[in-house]
Amino acid sequence: MNEQQQLIKDTLSRLLTDLCTPQEVDAAENGEWAGNLWQTLNETGLALAGVPETAGGSGGDLEDSLLVLHEAARFSAPVPLAEHFIAGLLLAEQGAVVGDAPTTIAVGDFEIDDALNLSGSAENVAFARWCGEIVLAARGTAGMKLCRIAVAETDLTPGLSVAGEPRDTISVSRQLDAANVFDAGDDIEHRIRLMGAATRSVMMAGALESTLEMSVQYSQERSQFGRSISKFQAIQHQLAVMAGEVAASTLAADCIKESFASLNEVDIAIGKARTGEAVSVCTDLAHGIHGAMGYTLEHSLNHRTRRLWCWRDEYGAEKEWQLLIGQKFVAGGADNLWATITDQS
Amino acid sequence: MFQGMTFEPGSLPEGTEALRQEVRAFLASELDPDVLPNSDFNAGVSAEFSRKLAEHGWIGMTWPKKYGGGERSFLERYVVTEELIAAGAPVGTHWIADRQSGPLLLKFGSEEQRQLFLPKIVSGELFFSIGMSEPDSGSDLASIRTTATKTDGGWLLNGSKIWTSFAHTNHYMVTLVRTQPPSENRHAGMSQIVVDLKDENVEITGIKNLSGESDFNQVFFDDLFVPDNMLLGEEGNGWEQVMSELGYERSGPERFLSAFRVLVEFTREIEENGTDEQLALLGRLSAHLVTLRRMSISVATMLESGKLPLSEAALIKDVGTTFEQLVPEVVRQAANPNASKRFIDTLNECILHAPSFTLRGGTREILKGVIARGLGLR
Ligand SMILES: Cc1cc2nc3c(=O)[nH]c(=O)nc-3n(C[C@H](O)[C@H](O)[C@H](O)COP(=O)(O)OP(=O)(O)OC[C@H]3O[C@@H](n4cnc5c(N)ncnc54)[C@H](O)[C@@H]3O)c2cc1C
Repeated sequence: MNEQQQLIKDTLSRLLTDLCTPQEVDAAENGEWAGNLWQTLNETGLALAGVPETAGGSGGDLEDSLLVLHEAARFSAPVPLAEHFIAGLLLAEQGAVVGDAPTTIAVGDFEIDDALNLSGSAENVAFARWCGEIVLAARGTAGMKLCRIAVAETDLTPGLSVAGEPRDTISVSRQLDAANVFDAGDDIEHRIRLMGAATRSVMMAGALESTLEMSVQYSQERSQFGRSISKFQAIQHQLAVMAGEVAASTLAADCIKESFASLNEVDIAIGKARTGEAVSVCTDLAHGIHGAMGYTLEHSLNHRTRRLWCWRDEYGAEKEWQLLIGQKFVAGGADNLWATITDQS
Repeated sequence: MFQGMTFEPGSLPEGTEALRQEVRAFLASELDPDVLPNSDFNAGVSAEFSRKLAEHGWIGMTWPKKYGGGERSFLERYVVTEELIAAGAPVGTHWIADRQSGPLLLKFGSEEQRQLFLPKIVSGELFFSIGMSEPDSGSDLASIRTTATKTDGGWLLNGSKIWTSFAHTNHYMVTLVRTQPPSENRHAGMSQIVVDLKDENVEITGIKNLSGESDFNQVFFDDLFVPDNMLLGEEGNGWEQVMSELGYERSGPERFLSAFRVLVEFTREIEENGTDEQLALLGRLSAHLVTLRRMSISVATMLESGKLPLSEAALIKDVGTTFEQLVPEVVRQAANPNASKRFIDTLNECILHAPSFTLRGGTREILKGVIARGLGLR
C-alpha cells in the first residue's frame, strides 16, 4: 500500500467510524437515505477517488477507488459507491461527467432506436430510488449505446435484497437527449459485468475481514463455563479456518485491484469465485461463534453477513465464474495447465 | 488483513521468467516419460537427479557464495521449487537439506560445520533428514526423551527418533535431544546435534507407508558417541532453533501442489468433451490454486526481506494442505466413468499419500493453534 492509499484508508476509517455507525446502517434498511454520509464521501473526493479529474473524480489510481470500496464494505456503508464509481468510469470514457447525486447502473434488456427512444427494463438496480441518475447499456440499430437517464424519468418498483438494501426494478419508455446517448463498444455489457464482479469481490473481501474481526472480538468478550469462549480450542480452530478463508479472499481481491485497469477476465473470475466460496464458510462459522446474539438484527454481524449473501450472487455467482476459468484453462491443454497457472501473475 | 496477520503483496521479479524457462527446459529433457509424475515432494527420490540439479546451481540457491551457494533471492528459489514440484520431479533426496538443514546451519552452525556441510549439500552429495518426532512425542515435540549426555570430547545419545523420512539413504540428521532434564520451562534444556546416519552404531529400520513404500524409518541410538563439534548452535537453544526451521518448512509450494498431477490428469480427461460441471470444477480448483500461490509468494517475499512470518506460514500450510486433500476427493466424483488408466493410477497414488499431507510438518490442529496465536487468542 502506498502513502496515498494509506491516507485514504485512514481517512475513510475515521470518517466511517463516525458516520456509518450500525444505527445508520439500520436506518438505511428502514428506508432512510444516508444523505449525510454520501455528501461527505462526495465532498471529500473519496466517492470517486480513482476517476479522472476531468470527469469529476479525484484523479487517483483505479486502485484507490477499489480500496475505498473495500474499506466501505467493512462498515456496510449503505450507499452505491460501487455503482457510482463504475458509472463515473464509463461516463469518463465518453468525456462526460457524473453528477453529485449518486448514479447507479442498470443491467437489463434495453433498446434504443434512431430517434433515441429508449425502452426496456432491469431488475435489481442497486439503490435506484435514492439515485439521481442511471447509466445503462442499450442495443441500438447500429451497435451498442451507453445511456444516462434520470431516475425520475423511469418507472420504479421498489424491491429489497436479502441485506435489506434497495434493489429496484425500473422500466423506461422515453426519448433521450442526444447528449445522454454515447456510442459504446459491442463489449459494453460484458465490461459492465466484469466491473460489477470485480467491485463485488473487493467488497466481499472487506466485509469478510470485518466478519473475522467481529468474531474474534466477540469470542473474547463472551464468557461461558467461567471463561471466555475464545479459550475453547474448538472456537479457536473455527476462527483459524475463517482466517485462512479471509486471507485467501484478501489476496484474490488485491489481485483484482492491481489489474482492474485491464479488466483481466480470469483475475476477476478467480476473485469472484474464490471470495464467493469463502462467504459460505465464513458466514456459517461467524454465526456459529456469535450464538443466538448473531441471529438477531440487534448485533451488527448481520450487516456484514446479509450483504455477503447478496453480493456473492450479484454479477454472477461462483459457478458461472468457475466455468469461465475452467473453459479458459482447459483450452491450454493438460500439459500446459501449469504454464497457464503461472501466467496468472 | 488483520492485526498480527499480514500478507504483504508480493510478485515475482521480471528476471525470474528466464529462470523458469531454464528449469522447464531442463525438466523436459530429464524426466523419464515412463515414470508417472507425482507432485508430492516426498514421493520421488533420485540422488542422480539431485546431482544434476546441483550442476545447474539449483540447490542452496540463496546461500553465500563462500559456501558454494548462489546468493540468489528467495523468490528465485521459489520459482525453481514450484517448477520442480508441479512437474512431479523426484526431489525427495535433497529437499530437506536445501529447504531447512542448510538455512539452519547458516543461522546457527559453527564456521567449521558450514565449511564441512554446505558446499557438499550445494553440490548434491550430502543429504539431510529431520530428527524431531519420537514414538511418544509427535505434536507435543517438547516432550521428547532422547537424551545427549556430556562425555569426554562429545555427547552420548540414547533414545529413538521415528517417521524419519529417508534416514536410510540420507547422510546426516539434525537431531533434537534433551541435554538437560525436563524442568518447569518445558522448552528449556533441548539442543540440536548433527548425527552421522552412516555411523555403524546408528540402527535404522524402515517402516512401510500406506502405499507400501518404505520411505520413513525408526532410528535408534544406544550410547551413540557424537563429537563436540557436531553440536549445532548453543546447548539449550534447541527449541528456538527448531521453531525457526518451521517458517521455511510450512509456506512453500510443496504445501499446496502435492495433488497437482491429479488436476493435470483430470484436465486431460476433460480436454475434449468436458461437461460444464467438470469444467466448473477445474475452474474452482484452479481459483484456489492461483490464490494459494499468491499467498505463498507473499510469504516468500517477506522471507526475502528478512522477516519470519510464522503464523502466516502456518496458515498457508493449513489452507494449502486442506486443498491438496480436497482435490482427489472432488475430482474422483466428477470423473468420467470410463476414465483412463493413467488418470486412475495418478488418482489412487494421490489418495494413498493424501493422509500424510496434513500430518507431516505439523498436524492441522497444531497449525490452527499457531494461527489462533497469530489472531491473539492464545
Ligand atoms: C509422511 C510423513 C513423513 C514424516 N517425516 C518426518 C521426518 O522426517 N522427521 C520427523 O521428525 N517427523 C516426521 N514426520 C512426523 C510428523 O511430524 C508427525 O506425524 C506429526 O508431528 C504428528 O505427530 P504424530 O503423528 O505423533 O501425531 P499425534 O501428535 O499423536 O497426533 C494425533 C492426533 O491428535 C491431535 N492432537 C495432538 N495434540 C493435540 C492438541 N494439543 N490439540 C488438539 N489435537 C491434538 C493431532 O492433531 C492428530 O490429529 C513425518 C510424518 C509423515 C506422515
